[in-house]
Amino acid sequence: MSDSLEFDKVIKGFGAVKALDEISFSIKKGEFFSLLGPSGCGKTTLLRLVAGFEKPDSGRILLNGQDITNLPANQRPINTVFQSYALFPHLTLWDNIAFGLRIAKHSKEYIKKEVESMLALIQMEEHAYKKPDYISGGQKQRVAIARALVNRPRVLLLDEPLAALDLKLRQRMLLELDLIHDEVGITFLYVTHDQNEAMAVSDRIAILNRGKLEQIGRPIELYEAPQSSFVAAFIGDTNFLDGWVAEQQIKEYSLLSIEDFPQVICFNDKKLSVGDPVHMSIRPEKIHISREKPAEKPLINSMQGIVEDIIYQGDHTKFGVRVGGHRMTVFQQHSRFLLDESPITWNDKVWLWWHADDGFILERYQVIKENEMGRSFENTLQEQN
Amino acid sequence: MKSKFEEVGLTFPSALWLLVFFLIPTSVIIFYAFKPGDLYGGIQEGWTLDNIKNLFTPHHLVILWRTIWFSLITTAVCLLLALPTGFFLAQTSLKNRRILLLLIVVPFWTSFLIRVFAWKSLLHPEGFLKKTLVFLHFVNDDTLLLYNAGAVLLVMIYTYLPFAILPLFTAAEKFNFNLFEAAMDLGASRSQAFYKVFIPSIKPGILTAFLMVFIPAMGAYVIPDIVGGINNEVLGNKIAQRTFVDRDLPEASSLSLALAMAVLLPMMVIFWLQADSDKKIKKKGF
Amino acid sequence: MNMKRFSFWVTFAVLVFFYLPILMLVITSFNESRFGGVWRGFSMRWYFQLFSEETLWKALKNSLLIGIGATLVSSVLGTLAALSLHRYRSMLQKAHYGLIYTPLVVPDVLMGISLLLFFVTIHLQLGLFTIFVAHTTFCLSYVTFVILSRLQTLDHAIIEAAEDLGANYWQIFWRIKLPQLFPAILSGALLAFTLSIDDFVITFFVAGPGSTTLPIYIYSLMKFGSTPIINALSTVLIVATFAIVWIVQSITREQK
Repeated sequence: MSDSLEFDKVIKGFGAVKALDEISFSIKKGEFFSLLGPSGCGKTTLLRLVAGFEKPDSGRILLNGQDITNLPANQRPINTVFQSYALFPHLTLWDNIAFGLRIAKHSKEYIKKEVESMLALIQMEEHAYKKPDYISGGQKQRVAIARALVNRPRVLLLDEPLAALDLKLRQRMLLELDLIHDEVGITFLYVTHDQNEAMAVSDRIAILNRGKLEQIGRPIELYEAPQSSFVAAFIGDTNFLDGWVAEQQIKEYSLLSIEDFPQVICFNDKKLSVGDPVHMSIRPEKIHISREKPAEKPLINSMQGIVEDIIYQGDHTKFGVRVGGHRMTVFQQHSRFLLDESPITWNDKVWLWWHADDGFILERYQVIKENEMGRSFENTLQEQN
Repeated sequence: MKSKFEEVGLTFPSALWLLVFFLIPTSVIIFYAFKPGDLYGGIQEGWTLDNIKNLFTPHHLVILWRTIWFSLITTAVCLLLALPTGFFLAQTSLKNRRILLLLIVVPFWTSFLIRVFAWKSLLHPEGFLKKTLVFLHFVNDDTLLLYNAGAVLLVMIYTYLPFAILPLFTAAEKFNFNLFEAAMDLGASRSQAFYKVFIPSIKPGILTAFLMVFIPAMGAYVIPDIVGGINNEVLGNKIAQRTFVDRDLPEASSLSLALAMAVLLPMMVIFWLQADSDKKIKKKGF
Repeated sequence: MNMKRFSFWVTFAVLVFFYLPILMLVITSFNESRFGGVWRGFSMRWYFQLFSEETLWKALKNSLLIGIGATLVSSVLGTLAALSLHRYRSMLQKAHYGLIYTPLVVPDVLMGISLLLFFVTIHLQLGLFTIFVAHTTFCLSYVTFVILSRLQTLDHAIIEAAEDLGANYWQIFWRIKLPQLFPAILSGALLAFTLSIDDFVITFFVAGPGSTTLPIYIYSLMKFGSTPIINALSTVLIVATFAIVWIVQSITREQK
């Protein structure tokens, strides 16, 4: 699969602030690719650079191998779905969709055929002669997508298109987007701050933080194998534990010493040696919680703690359990209606356990780097707690 | 993309027109003010300060003073009436608001001259109003409702009141009326909330309303001319008289300069006040 | 007293104040008697007299001519001015803005006399043309601000969307900007027309002999002429104004 879009050392600043700091990566043809990150991370700026509304300070943008960095927006075979939809209020939906085709001076028959097939794709045939003021938000969004797609762009850019919709509509529209992508087959570049959205539909995701690329990968890679503590904290919930390698046990597994906490065994793929500082992460859903002590098995970490906090979420409960000097977040899924044991409540003494494979180690120096850049992941952690 | 050439091209038509037909004429006035006039309505060679000096004769000073005084009273009364009206409009229902705004603006759409004439009719010595007031023993038969300062002020207030209501209404509309409840929740009475919360937050509207009444009032000509009579001349009348009757263009020009100054000063004060309150807001870090 | 109650009564009083003279005028125009004080019976004679006044029709024709001319020119100039003020942010525009803003705060008398002196200096004969120039000058500022305020509330994402869909600057201007601005341009034009038709002071200063406009005609009637005719004329104009406003209102309401 050839590259559809390529970013080569793209830098963009606004005054003293660097919105994009040497971004380099590429997107494959036909991918549903998402740009994910907190506000101000530069994802919208990157999108606007691709659309052509801004020019990078340095670096190149290539489309199918061709340098489009200096090409004006109206000459790029790229179309955008705007966050506010930006439908032309004085034109009917039909004319809105036909707009790009008319500018490109296609024949009347071609335009008629294309617009009508688009209207069929988004199921809005009977509304074609209405003006944008008379349709709902979800419908406007579909028209915005149709207006962009009808021009058969090489890449479709979507700037947080679902942000203005309510929850249920968002979920439905996301599925529709996915279906449209499958049907049309072109590259989608999707910008969002909602990680659930991104993970649900993307082939690959790029996580941006303060203008820098943190990690690119498939959703499952980002979730289960984050390369930095920022990514680990940004995607999903996690527990962080700081310590150092106490001893090498079985091959690839190390025993970690953590202050104010029992020793834990963890899978060590970073090839750290004894004495190296570590930053360990274990996701709440990987930890089991029970009043009864689990059987002792190799590679199972188990410990006791006191339940400090309970938040019932319907399909699962989120526990805050104090173990030593740390507060562990644990998810317990309600897979059965009635449990064998009586429900866990506040101040209960409980057992927690998890498999050594489920924790992952991040080198501690990355933590310090994050601290220096600003307390981004600390804040994310605090938000989660 | 945005070339300087395009910008100049777009700006050129309107800028040129105003340069020729506004800026230059204004300079012509300044020019004329310092030239001696001749008996036939033209100007002579040379320069003189006589026209400026003549501004300070008692005759002219009285007129200047009267102009300012009339304008201030008119503005004050207009503000006093427009404040409650703007307040009422802003917090009444949207349907009522539209109807009321229409009712207020429509008379304004009828010819200005006609409205002044309507008052002249109404205040006429043989008119209906006068006869009713005589009947009710409010006035004597020989008191004149017309051709006095009161008539001028009345009609000026009548004419300029919409100019005060609209900006005050606009400012009041932007006011968040929940703040009233917040203030009362914190212990303020209704009138305290009005004076300490409402009035300060519509201050920009008050300043705008002040300008929108005071400046036209200073330039009033028709109203004193039609309902004021000889003893209630203001600057506008004098300028017209000097121009058309006395044919003394230089003096008309110097009077115009005086009017321009009298209008410029409060404008600058108001702008300074507005900029000052903006600075204060910036300091407080809003 | 309750703030709401008090403000309601003030508003009510203000409205009565506004309409009292107008009402009196309308009633008096139907009065058979020459003097408003005594009611001598219903009569339309003043209206008949009014409509046979030749000077009136001539003045009306002049007013309309000047009104249309000034509206057209000030609308075009005002649109260009608003576009440039909105699009660019340079020192030139700051000066431009000052130039457009100042006529709004200058009293009519000053504007009238300055234009008169200017025309005299360049030996331009006073007449319909000078009135037209004067009207265009003050209408320009009003039109500019009406259109500028609409430009400022325009959703600029649609401009970017048009660019994104391949349109160049001219295509964006004709297909997107102009249609969006059209209601504002119409609004501005209407405002300009009204200001021109109704203007007296400036017109008075720059009019020449034989170039009477409607307001000047009315003024001369007021100063020197027959009172009852003015009542009739006033009533006609008032009714016409109300009718136009009502029609415009119904049209805009229908569009909504």
